[in-house]
Amino acid sequence: MIIEALIGVTFLAALVVLITPDEYAGKLAFGASLLPLAGSLYMWSAFDATGNALLGGSAARAFETQIRWLEVGGIELQWFVGVDGVSLPLVVLSTFLTSLAILSAWRPITDRQAQFYGLVLFMEANLLGVFTALDFFAWFVFWEAVLVPMYFLIGIWGGPRRKYAAIKFFVYTNVASLVMFIFFIQLVYNLDVATFGLPAITQAIHAGEVSGFLGLAPSTVKTLAFAALFLGFAVKVPVVPFHTWLPDAHVEAPTPVSVLLAGVLLKMGTYAMLRYNFTMLPDVAKQYAAVIAVFAVVSVIYGAMLALAQRDLKRIVAYSSVSSMGYVILGLVAYTTLGVGGATFQMVAHGLISGLMFMAVGVIYNETHTRMVGSMSGLADRMPVTVGILIAGAFGYMGLPLMAGFAAEFFIFQGAFASTVLARAPLFAAAAMFGIVIVAGYLLLAMQKTLFGPYELETDYEVTAAGPTETVPLAILLVSIVLLGVAPELFFDMITDAVDPILQVGGDV
Amino acid sequence: MSAAFTYAPLIVALPFLSFLIALAAGLADRDVLPKGGAIPGILATLGSLALSAWVALTVAGGAVFDETIYEWAVAAGVESQLELSFGLLLDPLSAMMLVIVCLVATLVHVFSLGYMNDEGETGLPRYYAGLGLFTASMLGFVVSDNLLQSFVFFELVGLCSYLLIGFHFREPGPPSAAKKAFLVTRFGDYFFLVGLVGIVATFGTAQFGGAESFPHVAELVLAGEASVRTFGFAPETWFTILGLLVLGGVIGKSAQFPLHTWLPDAMEGPTPVSALIHAATMVAAGVFLVARMYGFYAVSPTALAIVALVGGFTALFAATMGLVKRELKQVLAYSTISQYGYMMLALGTGGYVAATFHLLTHAFFKALLFLGAGSVIIAMHHNENMWDMGGLRKRMPVTYATFLVGSLALAGIVPFAGFWSKDEVLYEALIHGLGTEGSLGTVFLAAYAMGLLAVLFTGFYTFRMVALTFHGEPRTDLAADPESVGWNVKGPLSVLGLLAATTGFLNLAPVKKLTGAKVDFLHQWLEGPEGAALMATLSAKHYKHLLHDVNPAQVTASELGPLLPAALSLGLAITGALVAFRLYATPEPTEHTAKLGGLQDVLYNNYYQDEYQVWLATNVVQPLAGVADTVDQSLVDGVVNGVSSVSLSSGSRIRRIQTGVVSNYAALVTLGLTALLVAFGLYEGWLL
Repeated sequence: MIIEALIGVTFLAALVVLITPDEYAGKLAFGASLLPLAGSLYMWSAFDATGNALLGGSAARAFETQIRWLEVGGIELQWFVGVDGVSLPLVVLSTFLTSLAILSAWRPITDRQAQFYGLVLFMEANLLGVFTALDFFAWFVFWEAVLVPMYFLIGIWGGPRRKYAAIKFFVYTNVASLVMFIFFIQLVYNLDVATFGLPAITQAIHAGEVSGFLGLAPSTVKTLAFAALFLGFAVKVPVVPFHTWLPDAHVEAPTPVSVLLAGVLLKMGTYAMLRYNFTMLPDVAKQYAAVIAVFAVVSVIYGAMLALAQRDLKRIVAYSSVSSMGYVILGLVAYTTLGVGGATFQMVAHGLISGLMFMAVGVIYNETHTRMVGSMSGLADRMPVTVGILIAGAFGYMGLPLMAGFAAEFFIFQGAFASTVLARAPLFAAAAMFGIVIVAGYLLLAMQKTLFGPYELETDYEVTAAGPTETVPLAILLVSIVLLGVAPELFFDMITDAVDPILQVGGDV
Repeated sequence: MSAAFTYAPLIVALPFLSFLIALAAGLADRDVLPKGGAIPGILATLGSLALSAWVALTVAGGAVFDETIYEWAVAAGVESQLELSFGLLLDPLSAMMLVIVCLVATLVHVFSLGYMNDEGETGLPRYYAGLGLFTASMLGFVVSDNLLQSFVFFELVGLCSYLLIGFHFREPGPPSAAKKAFLVTRFGDYFFLVGLVGIVATFGTAQFGGAESFPHVAELVLAGEASVRTFGFAPETWFTILGLLVLGGVIGKSAQFPLHTWLPDAMEGPTPVSALIHAATMVAAGVFLVARMYGFYAVSPTALAIVALVGGFTALFAATMGLVKRELKQVLAYSTISQYGYMMLALGTGGYVAATFHLLTHAFFKALLFLGAGSVIIAMHHNENMWDMGGLRKRMPVTYATFLVGSLALAGIVPFAGFWSKDEVLYEALIHGLGTEGSLGTVFLAAYAMGLLAVLFTGFYTFRMVALTFHGEPRTDLAADPESVGWNVKGPLSVLGLLAATTGFLNLAPVKKLTGAKVDFLHQWLEGPEGAALMATLSAKHYKHLLHDVNPAQVTASELGPLLPAALSLGLAITGALVAFRLYATPEPTEHTAKLGGLQDVLYNNYYQDEYQVWLATNVVQPLAGVADTVDQSLVDGVVNGVSSVSLSSGSRIRRIQTGVVSNYAALVTLGLTALLVAFGLYEGWLL
């Protein structure tokens, strides 16, 4: 029942915070967010499942609840939640980043705080639902419900073009979800299952129970479903060329929202891809491995090149997310322990690192009121601690060893290089790996221009060192990044445990 | 297990601890530590030095050590079990390197008291934190027992160089130089990473030593006694590719052509940092890596030939640029590039011991020269231009004497350390070239010839530097009245001066060849303790066996005696030195290289190597990114916005149907119903 408690408490907290006076809302929201955080850490310590939630039986799902809810058109809807080694790290990531994002919002959010924090907690509750739900219906409800608070968070507290960005984000991801939904339902109706339970659906597909539809062969039905699901999730990740909503959303969103958007929301896309595309339909994924790998490599290199062209610090970090998430896709399509495991680990690592980067850029913006490379220099002189952490985070982004990003990227590269599913795997891996040079290029260049050199600022603000509500979350993030880099086994052990069954699924195309 | 090995992890941990202490002091933002954090650093490096010496003595006593101490990640997959770990490999090579690194690091810490503290620098805790992390990273690299760990610490060394080169971050130059250093070496490390990933994918391990190690498995595969996945290539070809990929990282870190451009810029860092980078840490890391996995290179003739060519060419190429530099540290920077070229030349031509020997002597004489330059820079109030100096020999006798020893060693003049090691490098290259058949032999001989010619230039630029700095008459008021330096400067200089004069005697290989006396101690040291199983794959003897028996190039031992080649290189060195001294040790020296005309400009501008690399970055990569950005905004996002505006406008057109007039609706409904009925009737067949 702990998952229900987690989601329930967070919903409740959202409601309470919503009606709290603005001056207390931030503190109350932070305090309340510690409850799901503590709960998720308890889940991590008490985690005892082995295997993959979709492929195994009850033993593969920790903290499982499965009760019949209602029946629609001969298909049973259930309240079915549980975690395995793939989803639990993302649950921890969600609760952890939400708490830190709330803390970092104390200073910049000065308007309608109760609504702001209420929406953040509401989003957290839905995120927890996305990462724990094992029934398609419940999962889809959570999946869509995440968009609503995000829309308002960008649309109300965002920058000058917030309405354009919010609508673009909402419509783009919603249309993609619709396509994904239609084709998934189509797939389920071609199966002989009377449930939306994801394990049952997965196991029925693997048992070869997909039937034809409208004269289409079963394999075509699966391929169509795969393509629609991939498209639906690719927008969320985002995979080039479906990425253009992301920089707009990030630039307009307030910092704490950017932290959650890059840190957790993007991972919904890759998580869903892992669950639906790569676990349910491995034969299609393997057949089109080269195509998917091209998407991955293009995202890595093209995303990095776009970051190189930016002058706005936030846009730089936003585009580098496109690049980093490309690694995840590459790892997934490799179908090796290190590849898929590394991809999952990268979801967590990138969540922490991009969270740190957005937060640090936000702290600088709070002081200087600009984010433009070229309108400031020598900030290290005025805010040494923030800048120090920003430099450390940037090196984390570049994949400096003993930080989480290196572990993730190394696993992915290793897994991709040795892939037997992907033809010419070493070339794909080597091409994607060149991203580590470009990322160093644009981050070092931006840091040199803004942080170092003689102190100068184009705006009329007095820059002072940041306060503790800003530096403490940064420091906590940095420590967690180093911790995961030194001891990746904290998560990687359970991840590989849940990933291995996926690799053992026989591929019958 | 010997007690020394139990405490060996502390060798790395102690400087790391000093990093943490200095970091905490820096965050506390007050002068909580005396000397700005220097004391913990000195104590830590001294402790590491003592432990390293103990380890070296234990290794000398016949024990070696190779154990995993930390499991970083395990991928217990369906394909295979892959364990990624950190460990300690303590054998003659790493034990020797540990002592070198700890010794130089200790002296650099002490010297920093004079160079940084006494000069009133701010941000000292940050400086000492950087030094501590730098030392710890390099030591972690040296004791690595597998290639992944090497890569990890290789990168951390790169980070530390970034932090220390950019120490004076308020000025425009150092941050730019720091960025360049990290970026250029990162470019090399990209290839290293691909190679590392390839090696792990091929062999399932990254271990350096033992029967399961990748160099040994490669040897077995070539002998047909094992098989690995070689990704569609013949094993020889694939191993060569992997070796060359790793070499990319070596070329970056050891500043070999064409990735040497970061190193002269790195002079923007504080001078003690330069000493550390050049002598014992960052630049040494590249060459050390090749020596560490020498068994893997020794079986690939193509890889060796490329190593030798890169080394020989870099030795000559960098030496020519050193001829015309005006600033003291610039001359030293190019001499470093050139000297590491010699080490690469030796490694490429089978001179494993020779390369290691030159690494050892160079560490001492180059640290000495940099610290000597630091002493001069203190005296000259941070003016580094040699044309503003002159006549300093009378005013700074200790610095002069030790600097002269270092210069004699650098130029390779008997009996100073550099003579013995450089002589062995060139001798090995020569006999290897003579002993190799066919075009490969020509390649080796060409590399040797470049190395030999570089000796002449080395003698010249070294003594041009000595003459301009210390001889003649003071050319400025600064030089006439230099600031005096303290014990913390003179002490390290004296220790290093002694070492630069004497370490050559550790390995008198030519004397052994001539007299039979067993005075080639380094050879014996690197052969390793008899009977230790680990040394079967890591000893100099094994490498010789690989080169002569397994390597397909069929190298035979040449019978050339050592005297003639030694006399040749010594003659060239002395000629270069004397010519420089004649030209520049005069009361009023002029720039004689100006007679070279346009060639001097080419040399002074480093053959425009920086220009083309900067051009590539700013005129190719940056515009390319700009194009990508334009395409993204107009085309990719344009399609998205186009789709949305099409749907919005068609939405508004469809909206026009909603006129609000009831009779229109009624008409539409009727029409629609009729159409449906007709369609249905046609489909069901009852209409026709």
